[in-house]
Amino acid sequence: MKWSNVKLIFSREMRDQMRDRRTLFTVAVLPIILYPLMGMAMLQVSQFMREHPTDIWIVGAENLPESPALVVDGKVNSEFASTKDLNLMHLVASQEGDREFKALIQSFKEDPEAHGSRLIDQLLEEQMARRGVDLAVVIPSVIQSPQLIDAETKVASQPKIYIFHNSAKDKSKIAAQRFSDVVAAWQKTFVQDVLQENNVPQTLIRGVAVTSSDVADKAGVSAAMWSKILPFIVMIWSLTGAFYPAIDLCAGEKERGTFETLLSSPAKRSEIAIGKLMTVISFSMATALLNLLSMAFTGLFVYSRLTGGIEGLSMGPPPVSSILWLVIALIPISGLFSAVALAAAAFARSSKEGQYYLVPLMMISMPLMMIPMLPAAKLDLGTSLIPVSGLMLLLRGLIEGQYEQSLQFFAPVCGVTLLCCWLSVRWVIYQFNSETVLFRASERFGVGAWVKQIASQRSDLPSVGSAILCCIMILVLSFFVSFSLGGVPDSFISFTKMTIAQLLTTVLVPALFMALMLSKNPRKSLRLNTCSVPMACAAVLMAICFHPLFMAFRELVMIVYPMTADMSGFESAFEKILAGAPGIWAILLVMAILPAVMEELAFRGFILSGLESLKNKWQAIAIASLFFGLSHSIIQQSVITGVVGIILGIIAVETRSILPCILYHATHNSLTVLLSQTHSHHVDGSPFLSRMLHSPEGVGYEYNIVTTVVLGTLACGLLAWFIKFPAVDKQQKSSSQGPEGLDAIGHPTAEA
Amino acid sequence: MIHVRKLRKSYQDLQSGQFKALDGISFDAMPGQVYGLLGPNGAGKTTALRILSTVLRPTSGTAIINGFDVNESPEEIRHQIGFVSTNTAIYDRMTAWELVQYFGRLYGMDSENLQIRMEHLFERFQMNDIRNVLGSKMSTGMKQKVSIARAIIHDPPVLIFDEATSGLDILVAREVLRTVEQLADQGKCVIFSSHIMTEVRRLCHRIAIMSHGRILAEGSIEDIIEQYNENDIEELFYQIISTHEQEKQRSVLS
Repeated sequence: MKWSNVKLIFSREMRDQMRDRRTLFTVAVLPIILYPLMGMAMLQVSQFMREHPTDIWIVGAENLPESPALVVDGKVNSEFASTKDLNLMHLVASQEGDREFKALIQSFKEDPEAHGSRLIDQLLEEQMARRGVDLAVVIPSVIQSPQLIDAETKVASQPKIYIFHNSAKDKSKIAAQRFSDVVAAWQKTFVQDVLQENNVPQTLIRGVAVTSSDVADKAGVSAAMWSKILPFIVMIWSLTGAFYPAIDLCAGEKERGTFETLLSSPAKRSEIAIGKLMTVISFSMATALLNLLSMAFTGLFVYSRLTGGIEGLSMGPPPVSSILWLVIALIPISGLFSAVALAAAAFARSSKEGQYYLVPLMMISMPLMMIPMLPAAKLDLGTSLIPVSGLMLLLRGLIEGQYEQSLQFFAPVCGVTLLCCWLSVRWVIYQFNSETVLFRASERFGVGAWVKQIASQRSDLPSVGSAILCCIMILVLSFFVSFSLGGVPDSFISFTKMTIAQLLTTVLVPALFMALMLSKNPRKSLRLNTCSVPMACAAVLMAICFHPLFMAFRELVMIVYPMTADMSGFESAFEKILAGAPGIWAILLVMAILPAVMEELAFRGFILSGLESLKNKWQAIAIASLFFGLSHSIIQQSVITGVVGIILGIIAVETRSILPCILYHATHNSLTVLLSQTHSHHVDGSPFLSRMLHSPEGVGYEYNIVTTVVLGTLACGLLAWFIKFPAVDKQQKSSSQGPEGLDAIGHPTAEA
Repeated sequence: MIHVRKLRKSYQDLQSGQFKALDGISFDAMPGQVYGLLGPNGAGKTTALRILSTVLRPTSGTAIINGFDVNESPEEIRHQIGFVSTNTAIYDRMTAWELVQYFGRLYGMDSENLQIRMEHLFERFQMNDIRNVLGSKMSTGMKQKVSIARAIIHDPPVLIFDEATSGLDILVAREVLRTVEQLADQGKCVIFSSHIMTEVRRLCHRIAIMSHGRILAEGSIEDIIEQYNENDIEELFYQIISTHEQEKQRSVLS
């Protein structure tokens, strides 16, 4: 790559974007005017809301006591409200002789429980609307200072006031809040008077005096608040800032016809891609920084103008160090968003189409940005491995000043972020090298034509698209079937039925159906080839040797993503179900052999066969393993099966037969089942098992470290042997060659 | 200078399945010659020229340009050619001077040579008045002049013009044709695609008539006229294309 070309392209694109009014508006003008305008609008709205007078209709005001008086001369008693609120509460007096009115009071007198009934609510809603009031207050009976305990009934009497508001109207809610505050203050005085009359000490009603205080210093509270807001602002604007330049630099250039001009120049595609990417990153960072600065200036200005601060909000300026952390974090995050946006935009033929492709990117990114804003979200090994979310949580910790805790997870967060950046940049370069992406002609899509094309262009093996379609079908079906099959089974028989139904409908049937419909040679697509006995034995041996390593890996996964209480409960319920099995053979059949057969036919059979058209066996294995992992709904299981899938993929590609894969899978599953069913009497009675296994916590057995290391080494050796000396013989290999002297994974053959 | 052998290019098309844009074309073009590629719309001319300019990769076959293979040395080839097409527009937000300078730098020219060459080209194409005019403010003719200056800034031995006069007024079109003639006179190898027969007759030393990705007739204009016994080149073109269409329809029906 010639960096002088990259620099040249970058300079041109920067200059070009700086001359584009739309980009300049989004990047520079919008941040400068947005926050002051938003601040002004919010101040005005809140002022309007706070200072708007409200009308309150009091029904039965004559029932209120004279002392303490709630209403004086048709107004709220000034003792119980601030002067401002007093002027904003207009009391509407009830009119004597109003029939509906009297009916209303009567209904309350006769049935105090009528409050809350739909009929009364409707009546009041109508009356409130007709009179144009925001709040209705009903005092059905005379309120007088009661005796604490009625001498006759021995029950304390309690006078009532009913307040009706309409939550669908903001003004009504404000009126309710204002009047409730007044009533609360009045009620306090009323209670004090009653207690005094009855010679009861005031402290009695409070019971225990509770004092709570906030020990956080002001700076800490402020930092905690900024740590949630600032990373989100930076992330969202770095994503938004990448959108327009990405679309303009790819789809826009295609639309204007300048893309081909650039492609015919001596600059390499990778140089063009990197030059454009650097431009998008620059604009993404600039947008985020300008927004941050504009928000900070507006915030500080407003804060300095509010002499008393904002009530209930301990808000100070953000810590200076937070800006530094944000700027550092902005580099990888802008790189990631820019690369993904550029790669998606490269696929589009026009700016309009580019916008369609970038909407899903926003939809995927938003939940990742929202996770760290949840109150319970904290930085641990599990969350640090989630792209974007991990980085936001790390930033949150750093802004809050929790350096020690945050830096523990610095390496995994950086690793994941850099890996995502690297993959995104690779994707951009791939897109720029792909003719089908750069010169995609507009094509009218029709289901009929598509089906016809699939049928007419079937080859022996399925296409990549068919394989991906099969994966998506399995995932979607798994989602719906797992819900429709109901919850936890109650017996082993129902568990067996449920497992078989799920495997058949979500895994085997889609794969077999697609193999028959989308390939000319279903046998070859499903890898239904024979394999030699030594190879089958080697697969079984490898599964046995790898098992301790996978169990250790499982423990590690459980530490990173601990099991929830629900999952632990499910596990113990599951143990009880297995106890009802007719024998260990039944458990092995349902949990080890059947899943092995069905899943292998789908994932290493149809799906991997299709993915091998990618001409890169490692890519094919990785994608098939990823979907294999995703098809298991529990995250812990997904991670483990994803890794197992890689080994199964290698076996499938090297042997070209599904049989060793089934044997490996069944052995692996069987050993897991057997280990979970191993009890002390099995181990104590067997010197072999007692040497291999140990029980660290007295519950359940694990492989000991020596067994894990020895068998693990042997397993790695076997795997290397599989890769170096493929089991497939020459005759088999030549039978799977393509028409133009390429084998199934795209390597030129010796003859070619 | 240019040797094309059995060049094929196929696309996947949803409606028609595998679509052969080029079906094994072969031809040779020599320095000092203008080689004409003629054909109706969709004949495969643009695909062939995109492959020669290494914007597209061939499905099979080879093309050797000035000793470099399009499959093996695409970067080298891009230094050897200048490509002007209806699809190679100029940047709206760049001035004429900035655009030509930008491509000159991409071709690796040093500042001094680039400055001399640019002065010369701006003088030659009478573009000094539009030096600082943005692409968006230029007329179609001006744009085409800038496009040609951009393509020949590095003085390449091979030039590819794909329907370079399409949409131009008669004055600019004549200027473009004159430029093509001058370039051939300077010993450059020029590939010129068009469906305007008068232009072809005036410029081309040799021609290839294409339809449906195949070359139907190839040679000097005189040879082809003699072979088909038709003096009017437009009539000749029509005759060859329509005969081929009829044969194609007959083969489909049978």
